[in-house]
Amino acid sequence: MRTTKILSFGLMALLATGFTSCFRAGGHNTGTVYMPDMAYSRAVETYAYRDSSKFTTDANDAGFKIYYDATPVAGTIKRGGVSVFPLTKDAGSDTANYVASKQVVNPLPALNEAEMAEAKRLYNVNCGICHGEKLDGNGPLYKGGEGPYPIAPKNLVADPVVSKMPEGQMMYSVTYGKNLMGSYAAQLSTRQRWMVIHYVKSMQPGNQLTAPAATAPAADTTKKTK
Amino acid sequence: MNQPKSISVRSFLLSLLLMVSGFGSNLMAQDGKALFQTNCASCHAINKKLTGPALAGFQDRGPWADRKKLYAWVHNPMGYSKSDPYAANLLKEYNGVVMTSFPQLSEKEIDAIADYIINYKDPTPPRPSGETAPASDNSFLFGILALALAVVALTLLQVNSNLKKLTDEKDGVFAGEPIPFWKNKAYIATGIILLFLTGGYLIAQSAIGLGRQTNYQPEQPIYYSHKVHAGINQVNCLYCHGGAMEGKHANIPSVNVCMNCHAAINEYKGPKLVKADGEEVNGTNEIKKLYSYSGWDPAVNKYTKPGKPIEWIKIHSLPDHVYFNHSQHVKAGGVQCQTCHGEIQKMDEVYQFSNLSMGWCVNCHRTTNVKFKENGFYSMYEKFHNDIKSGKMDSVTVEKIGGTECQKCHY
Repeated sequence: MRTTKILSFGLMALLATGFTSCFRAGGHNTGTVYMPDMAYSRAVETYAYRDSSKFTTDANDAGFKIYYDATPVAGTIKRGGVSVFPLTKDAGSDTANYVASKQVVNPLPALNEAEMAEAKRLYNVNCGICHGEKLDGNGPLYKGGEGPYPIAPKNLVADPVVSKMPEGQMMYSVTYGKNLMGSYAAQLSTRQRWMVIHYVKSMQPGNQLTAPAATAPAADTTKKTK
Repeated sequence: MNQPKSISVRSFLLSLLLMVSGFGSNLMAQDGKALFQTNCASCHAINKKLTGPALAGFQDRGPWADRKKLYAWVHNPMGYSKSDPYAANLLKEYNGVVMTSFPQLSEKEIDAIADYIINYKDPTPPRPSGETAPASDNSFLFGILALALAVVALTLLQVNSNLKKLTDEKDGVFAGEPIPFWKNKAYIATGIILLFLTGGYLIAQSAIGLGRQTNYQPEQPIYYSHKVHAGINQVNCLYCHGGAMEGKHANIPSVNVCMNCHAAINEYKGPKLVKADGEEVNGTNEIKKLYSYSGWDPAVNKYTKPGKPIEWIKIHSLPDHVYFNHSQHVKAGGVQCQTCHGEIQKMDEVYQFSNLSMGWCVNCHRTTNVKFKENGFYSMYEKFHNDIKSGKMDSVTVEKIGGTECQKCHY
């Protein structure tokens, strides 16, 4: 009787301390799960650790291990997408394709109101951080020379280099990067990049007339917010 | 009396003159700064080699002390480089990439830019002295207070029983040896009840908490501060986590996304960074860690080694038997990141803000109104649309469109 009493007390104290201290997440401790076979996926999940003794990304090892290459087959176009940019990246200081890109035309027709709003959103998320929401090359990263970015991003509206640049060449720069600007092919799909270029072109002086659908609602929304 | 006055007048005039001349030169410097930023700054920095060479100390290099040669170079770099070996060498060093020519800049304007560069002093922003100490937790104080009160109560009880014993002795009543409190049944019973209450509460709470990871804050391979990026520098969440709009996963950015900015930003100048355990972090060293992952050599501004991915540690995990999709919430639902992830833009090191439990999900689904109007995603709910139009209902919660059905998330 006495021993069972002591035992039950001890068990309870052990459980209480165990539950409160060891199993609880916080700080660097992940905590504990019950039924791990229901918590952790057996299928390969995004960002899950892949055991290199079972999986390989090297095509030569296919057959010995499970060959898994996450990149799509070259030239694949996803549903609703547009054909990939036809030119490859120039090697070294060669500028042949950069020059040739002037001839590439934007495959997207003029954007409607909703598409233009989406293009503006994409611009503000991906480009505005450097080139500024006003496209004046003064985004929060540069802040007139006070931000952390050491060099001035291009002014997309006032600089004649950009305002006269053909859309194909802008696409080349956005796809492969130019000077210190990196490639945005990883963040924006081909369609999204062409959309952003439509938006930038529509904001440049002299071009606003080509996209009346875009400028009119923009004026409307500012009125509403005021 | 006369003399001091004249001195004061003179000194006043002198200071006025100084001020005016100072003002004048300041204007010139400002002009130079503006000209530099519009024309040169997209390739050149003053103290950093970027697309073009660093311009600090240019007057001591090559032929540039001679302003006439400088004008010739700026107006027509390609033509000038043919006549000057130093310029020709520069071309070789930069792989034959020639500087853009600026024929529209007048000699005066080039002078202004040159003077701005010569007089430029690197502004080292004063570092804010640490962060204010975290607000002290009151529960500790209350604990001490409760303990003190308990001690006082116990002593009073003891005093009371002693006094009772004294009066009893005085009255001639002999109560016998008092029972020590560890054998007193009342004490033992109270102790056991208290133990069961607190122990049971703790066990129940902890068992519920099994598998939940609120406050989990692992140490990441690189000290990446969301506060610096999303807070101070206002980088949009979707810049790096664009998948939140597009699909199931919000996506952890690959190294090339980091390098979009960090090819140029190679030092940290912001406020002091501190780890959760109080250790100070050198931001510039953390950027160097990024370079070692990406294979970027900041000395030559090139990728010199193959890159490798950074193994960030996943913080928010849902069990395999739950389906969660970011785009459903962010794009169709218009939910802000902060609603579930807390004020990420104020966190240096990210911790799990919500407990991600089923109760938490369902509670939100019961109380949150769906953005029903002007949202193509919900156009199929004709009855609700008609009810809203006729005024029968003013809003639709997630629950009403099946947001608490088991199969929505468990299948």
